[in-house]
Order: sequence, then C-alpha cells, then structure tokens
Amino acid sequence: MGKSMSKAYVLGTGMIPFGKFPDRTLADIGWPSLREAVLESGVPTSSIDAIYCGSALGGMMSGQRVAKAIGLSGMPIVNVENACSSSSSAIAQACNAIAAGKYDTVAVVGVEKLTKFGGGTLPLENEDWEVTQGMVMPALYAMRANRYMHEFGLTPKQLGEVSVKAHDHGALNPNAQIRKRVTIEEVMAARPVAGPFTLWHCCPTGDGSAALILASQKVAKKHKPAAVHVAASEVTSGKYTNGYRDMTVAELTVRGSHEAYEMAGIAPNDIDVAEIHDAFTIAELMYYEAFGWAKKGEAYQLLSSGATSLGGKIPVNPSGGLLSRGHPVGATGAAQAVEIVRQLEGRAGKHQVEGAKIGLTHATGGGIAGFDHGACSIHIFAK
Amino acid sequence: MTTPSKIVTNDALADSEPHFVAPGLVDASGPEPRLVAGKCKACGALSFPKAVVCPACLSQDIAAAHLASEGMLYSFATVHQAPKNWIVPYHLGYVDLTDGIRVLAHVEGTPRIEAKVKLGVARVGTAADGTALMSYVFTPVA
Ligand SMILES: [Zn+2]
Repeated sequence: MGKSMSKAYVLGTGMIPFGKFPDRTLADIGWPSLREAVLESGVPTSSIDAIYCGSALGGMMSGQRVAKAIGLSGMPIVNVENACSSSSSAIAQACNAIAAGKYDTVAVVGVEKLTKFGGGTLPLENEDWEVTQGMVMPALYAMRANRYMHEFGLTPKQLGEVSVKAHDHGALNPNAQIRKRVTIEEVMAARPVAGPFTLWHCCPTGDGSAALILASQKVAKKHKPAAVHVAASEVTSGKYTNGYRDMTVAELTVRGSHEAYEMAGIAPNDIDVAEIHDAFTIAELMYYEAFGWAKKGEAYQLLSSGATSLGGKIPVNPSGGLLSRGHPVGATGAAQAVEIVRQLEGRAGKHQVEGAKIGLTHATGGGIAGFDHGACSIHIFAK
Repeated sequence: MTTPSKIVTNDALADSEPHFVAPGLVDASGPEPRLVAGKCKACGALSFPKAVVCPACLSQDIAAAHLASEGMLYSFATVHQAPKNWIVPYHLGYVDLTDGIRVLAHVEGTPRIEAKVKLGVARVGTAADGTALMSYVFTPVA
C-alpha cells in the first residue's frame, strides 16, 4: 500500500440483512450480496479478474458455489479460511493482488451459514487440547472480562452498557440481525452464558453474506472517480506461548493497529468511524485501548462519555457491531467493510456518522490454545 | 457459586471405569495425579501438551516430564452453556503453574482470582454411553 498507483478502490458493495436462514443453501445466502455489489459497481461481469471468498465453516468451494449462481465462473476463485477474519483476510488478498498489478477488478464475498450447526456456541476444533477440557469461546472472553474487572474495578453493569450501546445502534440498521433496543436491566437479568456474561453480552449466531468489488486506480477512474480507497490493509497472526500472558491486553490487535496506522500514515484520533470485533462486551472495551482511543484501564470512561456512540467523537460499531448486526463468522469482515464504505459515502441511513472521512474495520478471532487469537485483520478506508 | 462435580475416590474410579477426556495430559497412575509435559532434551524448553517437535529448536528428542502441581488462578469463567457431555455449570480457569506454564483446567469449589490452587482429578462430564468423563482439575487451597 502507500503509493497511489497501487491502491485498491471500492466500486461496489452488497450485503443481505443478517439473520437465521436454515432453509437457504450457502450459495443462496451468498449470491444476493455478490449480485448487489456487481450491479452497484457498474463493472461488467466479464471483467472480473478474480474472486476471493471468505468463509470459516462454509465447506469446500464456497466461493465457486456462490459465484456460479450469478454466472461467474472460469476466473481464479480462491477460498480463504481464517476464522472470524476470513472475509477481511479475503479483502487483504484482493488488495495485495491489485497492489501487485496482478488484477484490475476483484470481487470479494464473505458468506456463512451457522444455522446448519443447530445453535449453541460455535463448534471449535476438537484437536485443540483446550477444547478437550471444555473451552468454549464465551469462556475465553469471560476470563478476559473477569481478569479486567479484577485489575481495573470494572463492574458487570458497566460491562453491560456496551451491549445497550450496541443495540441502540443496531435498532437503526435495517441489515442488523437484532433490531431491538435493550435496557441495562434486561442485559443483567438475561440467562447466564459464561459468567459474567448473560445472553446479551454475547453476539448471536446466524447466517449472512456481504460483498465488495475492488479495483485498481485505472478501473476506478473509469467507473467511479470519487471511489473510497483502501488506505491500509493488514493481516497478522497471534503469537504462541504456553507461558503466562496478560489477558487484559489484546496483543494481536495492538500489533495490527500499529501496522495499519503506519500504512495509512494516520494517528488513532484520525479515525472518524470504526467497526470493531465486539464478539462479547469485554472485547469492545479492550479494543478501545488496543486502538489507542483510551488509556489502559480507562475504556469504560470513553464508553460512558458517549464518545463511541452515534453523535460522539468516534462512533464505534454504528451498525450495531457483532452484538447486534450479528456475526456469521466468515461474513463479518466483509460486512464491516461494506458498512464503513457506505458510511464514508454518506449513505448509511439512520445510523449515518455525519461527515466521516476515515473509517476502520477490525475482525479478529480463532480460539486456539496458546494464542491471544489466531488471526486479526484490520483495514482503513478513506475518501 | 455452585460446585459442579465431586472429587472421585480411587474406589469410584474402579467402579465406573472412568474415561479421561484427554488421557495424554495427565498421569493418574501414582498416588497423586501429575500433568504430563514435554522437556526438550536439546534446549530444555517445556511444552504442554507434550510436543512431538520442539517449537523452540525443532528437535524431535523430547522426554516426558511432570509439571508443577501447584499454581495461581489467573482468571476463570463460569460456563453455563457448553456442548453436551459437560456437567454445567462448570468453572474453567487459567492456572499459572510455578514452573512458568499456564494451563486451562476445570476449577473445583469456589474459584477466586489469584487464589493458590492444587492439582487433582475429578469427574467433569458424562459420555453418550453414560461413562463418567474424568479430567485433571484444580482446587483452591484453603
Ligand atoms: Zn528444543
């Protein structure tokens, strides 16, 4: 990234409202987003050079199954699996290929159907020894939350306010899976999942897809001269240790955000709007600190000041985030990118962040023993 | 806080023919259970679970070693929703052992962050055929 000649531009976006679609195939969940992105871009399907499809649990050839439904086949189609970062990693592959001059027009689609697992917590890899001892994703985040509360005096009620904010935003978003406000009392009284989390502290499982058409400057000039561009695109992996680790620091996101800010040549306070990986309430607070928007232990003060709500200084997760918009794992990164591009283009509707010029997306996840997370992918988009 | 499972005595172990959820992680043959780690013969690095190849120096010459059986509870979570087989609710925690290794384990009794904990063995679940599922667990030391 960096040199203007090699930047990727976003020509089209597509997304379906997230929800539960047990009767639809993965392809039928995916193609409407891809179709919308292609039509919005104005690019003829014959000029799409390659497709990257992000899916964590979609199974073999997810991209081919989705693309063929709208007559796209024959070009290179690469399926990218990187847990919660699958489709953001797919965007990064597209950006790399455009930056290298390999392709001019690339489609990216993120698609997931979690209802095929019949509900409950996300299935984890049984070869992982922590899974053999009863590890589930909510427990991993709950351990972070309990340690953070222990060290910094955060209360369960303060933690619950993250969920209230998320659902205030999501209620305004027609693409959100949960379009309902919740009160702090409802958050506190809901069924326990993994203490200190109740149901409202956890993102819902569901199905969904989102897609983007990315292009070189040459193609962008022709189809959309004012297109939003990708100012930073990075993917990194967690660092393994079987020793002690400070679970109140999102080490992987700290590293990734430094790289992303440097690529874009900006500082944390230059971000106008962000979509970050709030899979569980504690995650949003820890990431405020990891991205440099709050000092260590002071994330709650940022939340309670209203700075991260719509109308604040740096609205975070205006879409409702994973907690409200939903988290069909492999589709999340692409959905965040669609949201931020539409925000920068001023067409986000009722949850528009006025005047946003620089936006950030962040998808991280993959529970593996010995890692903070398996993967993290951060993008910065600019007008 | 609830106590999801009981420490199973040796008699009970014999009666129910229990099944360890990950037999390679624990050596229950002696009077006290021990966690089984690997110690690289080339560089001395500890691995848990016992590695086949040393991530520090790539040697494949790794001996079995026992880990410390005492440590400090770094954090924990009380799990109410889990795959079937598990007895919910259960406490899951990270234990920082005195030899520098962090292990994930079921925690018995009333967990408290920074409590001193000690290794044991207990029933943690039930297999589809009704067999007791056992594992190593940690219990706060009074
Ligand atoms: Zn070694």
